[in-house]
Amino acid sequence: MTLNIKRSQTPFFFETALLWVVSPVQNLFTNTVKSISETVDHYFQLVDTSKENKNLERRVKGLLKQNHDLREKILLLTRLGSLSNYQEQQELNGIISRIIGRDATQWGKMVFIDKGTQDGVAENFVVVTQEGVVGHVIQAGWNSSKVLLIIDSRSAVDALFQNSRVSGVVAGTGSNQCFMKYVPITAQVAIGDEVLSSGLGGIYPKGLKLGTVSEVTKATQGLFQEITVVPSADLTRLEEVLVLLS
Amino acid sequence: MLILIFFIYLILIFSLQTTLLDLFSFGGVTPDLALILTVYCATLLRENGGIAMGFGLGFVQDCLSGGILGINTLSKSLIGFTFATLKSKLVVEGFVPIAAFLFVSSIVDGLVFYVASLILFKSGTPWGILFSNLLVFAIYNALIGPVLFYFMDKNKNWLIRRFSKMENSSL
Repeated sequence: MTLNIKRSQTPFFFETALLWVVSPVQNLFTNTVKSISETVDHYFQLVDTSKENKNLERRVKGLLKQNHDLREKILLLTRLGSLSNYQEQQELNGIISRIIGRDATQWGKMVFIDKGTQDGVAENFVVVTQEGVVGHVIQAGWNSSKVLLIIDSRSAVDALFQNSRVSGVVAGTGSNQCFMKYVPITAQVAIGDEVLSSGLGGIYPKGLKLGTVSEVTKATQGLFQEITVVPSADLTRLEEVLVLLS
Repeated sequence: MLILIFFIYLILIFSLQTTLLDLFSFGGVTPDLALILTVYCATLLRENGGIAMGFGLGFVQDCLSGGILGINTLSKSLIGFTFATLKSKLVVEGFVPIAAFLFVSSIVDGLVFYVASLILFKSGTPWGILFSNLLVFAIYNALIGPVLFYFMDKNKNWLIRRFSKMENSSL
């Protein structure tokens, strides 16, 4: 059963006046409640967002570290791969080793490698990279060894030019370059000429790449030329090397 | 206990010198922590203490380098002795005196190496290369030394406080 009260089509005066008075207050209340509700909601949302943000930041940091580690692994594998390829191509009997330290003094150019006598490394073994000769082992410990770089002022390698086959001695200077000594003044040497080990001297086998000629000075007097050689291997950024086991 | 701490510091210093310090090399030149520590100890300890520290640090440095055993032992002992003797006549406080001491020590260290190589091998590092490296080496040590002196002073004071507390508690 329903009850219907018949209303007139147009509101009567009292109704209109009441609406006119009440509606602003209604609006005010509605807006206030809405505003409070939104603020409270927003606050709780912000608390959640803040927590979520922290979690995400932590995750991003973890992923960045993971990314960095993976990139390092890729680079390491690439370097090891190229060293292994070089070893296979040249049919060298060697062992890959990591550089673990450098000379404790400013004046010596020596590095420590993580392989020693327990891995078959012994004194006078030659150390190379795919780019060229690094140096030779001067002291072999049980689990690490000292390698004297070819740029050390006490290093001297008997060498020859790849094209002209003129021989000389590549001596270290203590800086990042070497001098090629005892090259006759009459020999034809040009910038960019490749220098290889000659096999004489009993330590370095023949044909290993030592460096490239970067400067040639022919003195007006004297028997020999002054030749500067830049080592083929970047000896300032060594990370992994190949120790030739023979 | 102090000896143990000294050995731990020694291991840390030489591990830093042979590994991480290479990252801060300037034109292939790195500061010499053993040299800085020798000068610090020479100005702090009694005369014999300075020489002993110089000798010990130089010997360890020789063992961890590809050079002839004895060059660094000699140069560091000399530096230790010189500054231990001079410390009563000079004031070793503030940036400038420490930097000057380290500058001179670095030059002496390089010259001892150069002369020894020349005598023993008849051919050392070419003079031009050595001079430019030596200058950078001396300036680098002189700049970094006072900062390290400050931290070593802090560390020394911390150790003294720590040990005096331990002694008091044991009493």
